[in-house]
Amino acid sequence: MDTTRPMPLTQPWSKKFWEGCREGCLLIQRCQDCQNNIFYPRKFCPECWSGNLNWIEAGGRGRIHTFSTAYDMVEPRFWEDLPYTIAYVDLEEGVRMMTRIVDCRPEDIHMDMEVEVVFHKLNDEFHLPYFRPVKG
Amino acid sequence: MAQPNLAIIGIGEVPTRIMPERTRWDILYEVCMEAIRDAGLHKNDIEGVIATSPQAQPVIAAELAFGKLPEELGLKGCKDNCICNAGGAGTSNCLRLAEQYIHSGVARAVLIPHVTVHSDIPMEDTINFFARAGVDMQWEYPFGSTYNLIMGLMANRYMHESGCTPEQMAAVVTSLRSWAVKDPHSLFYGKEVPSVEKVLASAMINTPLHKRESNRLADGGSAMVVVSAADARKMKKPAAYKLGEAVRYFSGTPVLRNFDQVKDGLRSTAEEALAQAGISRGDVNIWNCYLAYPLAHPLMAEMLGVAPEGRGGEYFAQGRMAFGGDIPWSTMGDAPGRGHTGSGVSAATYVETARQLMGKAGERQVKDCLYVFQNTSGGSGFNNIATIWGREV
Ligand SMILES: [Zn+2]
Repeated sequence: MDTTRPMPLTQPWSKKFWEGCREGCLLIQRCQDCQNNIFYPRKFCPECWSGNLNWIEAGGRGRIHTFSTAYDMVEPRFWEDLPYTIAYVDLEEGVRMMTRIVDCRPEDIHMDMEVEVVFHKLNDEFHLPYFRPVKG
Repeated sequence: MAQPNLAIIGIGEVPTRIMPERTRWDILYEVCMEAIRDAGLHKNDIEGVIATSPQAQPVIAAELAFGKLPEELGLKGCKDNCICNAGGAGTSNCLRLAEQYIHSGVARAVLIPHVTVHSDIPMEDTINFFARAGVDMQWEYPFGSTYNLIMGLMANRYMHESGCTPEQMAAVVTSLRSWAVKDPHSLFYGKEVPSVEKVLASAMINTPLHKRESNRLADGGSAMVVVSAADARKMKKPAAYKLGEAVRYFSGTPVLRNFDQVKDGLRSTAEEALAQAGISRGDVNIWNCYLAYPLAHPLMAEMLGVAPEGRGGEYFAQGRMAFGGDIPWSTMGDAPGRGHTGSGVSAATYVETARQLMGKAGERQVKDCLYVFQNTSGGSGFNNIATIWGREV
């Protein structure tokens, strides 16, 4: 039974994102030619094919577009986390990411809830950007 | 798109069961021989073989890709062979490619088989496969996402926006299974139809998906024989003619799938396929929807204009799409009713479309069935393919 946590399968152009996570920064790409904010990271801008892409630090705040809380039928490698909530979060920068919602009870999570990033260390290389409710 | 020129003239299928002693080749022999006989053809009349790729079964997938089937069955007239993989949209591509084989003169009659045996694969391997299928390995999988969770995310948002209740969602299972219990090819043939209460009392896998709202993995297989529309007419046998088709691509990665774009895609592909077939919504006798999970059925009913916006769930709860209701809907019960056979459920959906148009659907036969709407979709919903099929051109 495989209980090792899976690590993100990276590409050369996504390494910077994971470096950012290690340093507590949520980075997204910005196309210098068409000003498009890009997530997930690409080799070339998916709007205009420009290779002139920069990284900007996102504010780390967003809203829950949708979520689902898992109680069963996940791989053994995630069993110890059950129950856990997977969500799509819309960042203020206009991009959407999949994440986990943490630091609250699953029954308190709701649609359009305001959340902020909190990094979860998997190992020395990978810290996953999770989100938690904004207090107050 | 050019006017389709294709007809299904033969079908073969084995009952969907959990039966490891029935091998993949057992199933392939049975469904292929039945489909060719049903078409009224000789085995050597089959000039092309295009199989739907079996998922999570590398050995049979390689055998089918590299040409074992025509040899095993002695299809001496066969000129070419391949497999198509687009997950649940694979069979749609087999049909399109068959049309090309026929149009370009490679083949006059093409055999389209599918087989899946889940029961001899260790449970852990199938859970792993379905956790990773259609999920991004960098941006989704490490968070603990699964196929079930992707469906849950979509369903929760739909329920939030539409006001569809858990009871109404559960009624979709009741509805789909009401058809399935009358289908000898279903895993649930002759069994009890679960009530809404029973569905809701089953364990929660992930919100809002209850155990009885997910699919039972099973073994099955089917085959179709297709020819040109002109050849089908000459054969003077019951056939299902392809009349219209439209398609949209959404996204490979679920998180990038814009819900509004998906809704619009479901709506417009139906409109375009109907327009190409030259018929209107009211002419459709069966809405044969393939969505793999019950959760997307109410949304689909709304996008097809079968139910008013925000009332899809209500229509299911009223039993309108159930066996005996006024809107024949997924008459083989989709994957929740059939048992999940990987990419085979969409293959079986085409077989059911043909069966109804040929008048061979037994107890489930929809009277005077002239036109069937059918959709398929691949991966975790990367696309939607809408087609219209008719009894005559
Ligand atoms: Zn650009």
